Amino acid sequence: MIHDSILRDRLVTGDKTPSDVTRDILRPILNNPSKSWKIGFTLSVIFLGIFGISLLNTLWNGIGVWNINKSVMWGWDITNFVFWIGIGHAGTLISAVLLLFRQKWRMSINRSAEAMTIFAVICAAMFPVFHMGRVWVGYWALPLPNAFGSLWVNFNSPLLWDVFAISTYFSVSLLFWYIGLIPDIATIRDKVSSKVGKAMYGFFSMGWTGSTRTWARYELISLILAGLSTPLVLSVHTIVSTDFATSLVPGWHTTIFPPYFVAGAIFSGFGMVASLLVVARKVMNYENYITIGHLDAMCKIIMVTGSIVGIAYLTEFFIAWYSGNEYEQYAFANRAFGPYWWAYWSMMSCNLIAPQVFWFRWARTTPWFIFIMSIVVNVGMWFERFVIIVTSLHRDYLPSSWVMYSGSLTEVGLFLGTFGIFFTFFFLFAKFLPVINMSEIKSIMRNRE
Amino acid sequence: MAIVDKKLSIRNRNKILVGVWQDEDNLVAAATALTHAGIHIHDIYTPYPVHGLDRIINARRSKLARIAFFFALIGLTLMTTMIWYMSVYDWPMNVGNKPLRFTPSWSPVMFEGTVLCTAFGMSFFFFWRNRLVHGIKNELLDIRQTDDRLIVAIETTADMDEKAILTMMKKNGAIELRSFHKGVQTILK
Repeated sequence: MIHDSILRDRLVTGDKTPSDVTRDILRPILNNPSKSWKIGFTLSVIFLGIFGISLLNTLWNGIGVWNINKSVMWGWDITNFVFWIGIGHAGTLISAVLLLFRQKWRMSINRSAEAMTIFAVICAAMFPVFHMGRVWVGYWALPLPNAFGSLWVNFNSPLLWDVFAISTYFSVSLLFWYIGLIPDIATIRDKVSSKVGKAMYGFFSMGWTGSTRTWARYELISLILAGLSTPLVLSVHTIVSTDFATSLVPGWHTTIFPPYFVAGAIFSGFGMVASLLVVARKVMNYENYITIGHLDAMCKIIMVTGSIVGIAYLTEFFIAWYSGNEYEQYAFANRAFGPYWWAYWSMMSCNLIAPQVFWFRWARTTPWFIFIMSIVVNVGMWFERFVIIVTSLHRDYLPSSWVMYSGSLTEVGLFLGTFGIFFTFFFLFAKFLPVINMSEIKSIMRNRE
Repeated sequence: MAIVDKKLSIRNRNKILVGVWQDEDNLVAAATALTHAGIHIHDIYTPYPVHGLDRIINARRSKLARIAFFFALIGLTLMTTMIWYMSVYDWPMNVGNKPLRFTPSWSPVMFEGTVLCTAFGMSFFFFWRNRLVHGIKNELLDIRQTDDRLIVAIETTADMDEKAILTMMKKNGAIELRSFHKGVQTILK
């Protein structure tokens, strides 16, 4: 028996009909690009140019143009890698985990979050790939026969697990995203008037007709893919955390890393989703689809995951003291009160203290404030990775190897440049594909239980 | 590009009666009434998933879950064999005197490979089963079936009372009625 819910707020406001949904969501695709889109896209391309110049400098002169050294051999590059891969996790969490929990509010935001995942993973992959130095032999990381020049890869190494985890994560996320897009691409195919548009959307819609049998199988495959993606997303950041945790560096060699990294990834990912959607709902007039209720729900997740991360910070500190290991104790004292204290306290204030403001309803329902807070969260999460990597490496067991580290202009350029890659892709996505999943939104318009 | 299987094309079928709905509750009521009257519904086309319709039209339960499990087993076997061949059989590498065979450190790669194989194997099966092919010519009974209209298609046979079917569809909220035969569409009153 189907009931109309009288308890829950409507997920789509404004008394919309299915044809209104099609019209509203396809407006940016079927019309010429708006002024704000053009400005945003141009800015993104400028940042993409910064990436190009920084990368050219790195390839031409070698990674000596980065400030990494034999003590701090991972600097901004791996900080940025973990930062971007973390951002990528919210997409899968929203599309897979929230699907398994039957959270229907995810339907307005899952498409853009999944797109964000794919673009963020592309940005993340840049850093370890170019950190290899001789990037042209990067294929040695793949399991290729010895005759190709390398030995077989070492399956005991978490760095190799990363190769498998991230490539699988990227491929499965892309597949999940594409399958979810097919019904909406078919809708565009039947609405677009240009010949090229018809041919392109026709090609990618794969002859979709909306048959009941296909829908039944489509829902089943979405559910199974969600079931697969959930352990996958947990495994990816767990493996990223083992890059650190399986080493013997003080401050890294801890068993808390996997859950702490996963919570941090969801936290930063939701921060990025909130930044993007607060702007998108205003600029693209999607306020009836991405409602204050959606922002409220996202803020609650940010607050919970921020608190989990905060507890992890405190637990690390406690365990370092409780272990009685002087290297571990020093690593943490050095983090909080050493030369990088400013990074540590930026991390603590942005990730643990700032999100507590979301206990207040006003903070969770005021878009401009959420936007500012989402930026704060992302700044904090970048500092978290910087603190973990740099403070542990710059002073480890041997005081004669202690050094200070700061990113070079090229390293900063590469990081800023990845925002160019990310936003260029995102603007193209917003112009050519529906940012909101139309078919799913149409199915929940009646607020049924 | 042509239709993959010509026999499945609506152009090569008997006359098809088409009813158009705008309201999903009316559609569900109509589909239930038609099925109870013993009329076989060829298919229902909707712009969004309407739950329960597959059971109403007696669509067979999908085997996708079993197919997924099958591909998972293939993935797991492939990855285990690959790792064993590379790091035990072909070039045993002593890493810190750790054991060579089936150590827990194999599990991340085995897991990732299994997920990859399951996801892609199952998805290609899904595409094949639904005749979803890049560039295929789509066959729409109504251009609005991917926007806001819900379409019921009934393939007629010699012993069918077409008039009774059309009356039943109209009584259950159909806003338009049409027939489709050999590529020619006729609007019915």
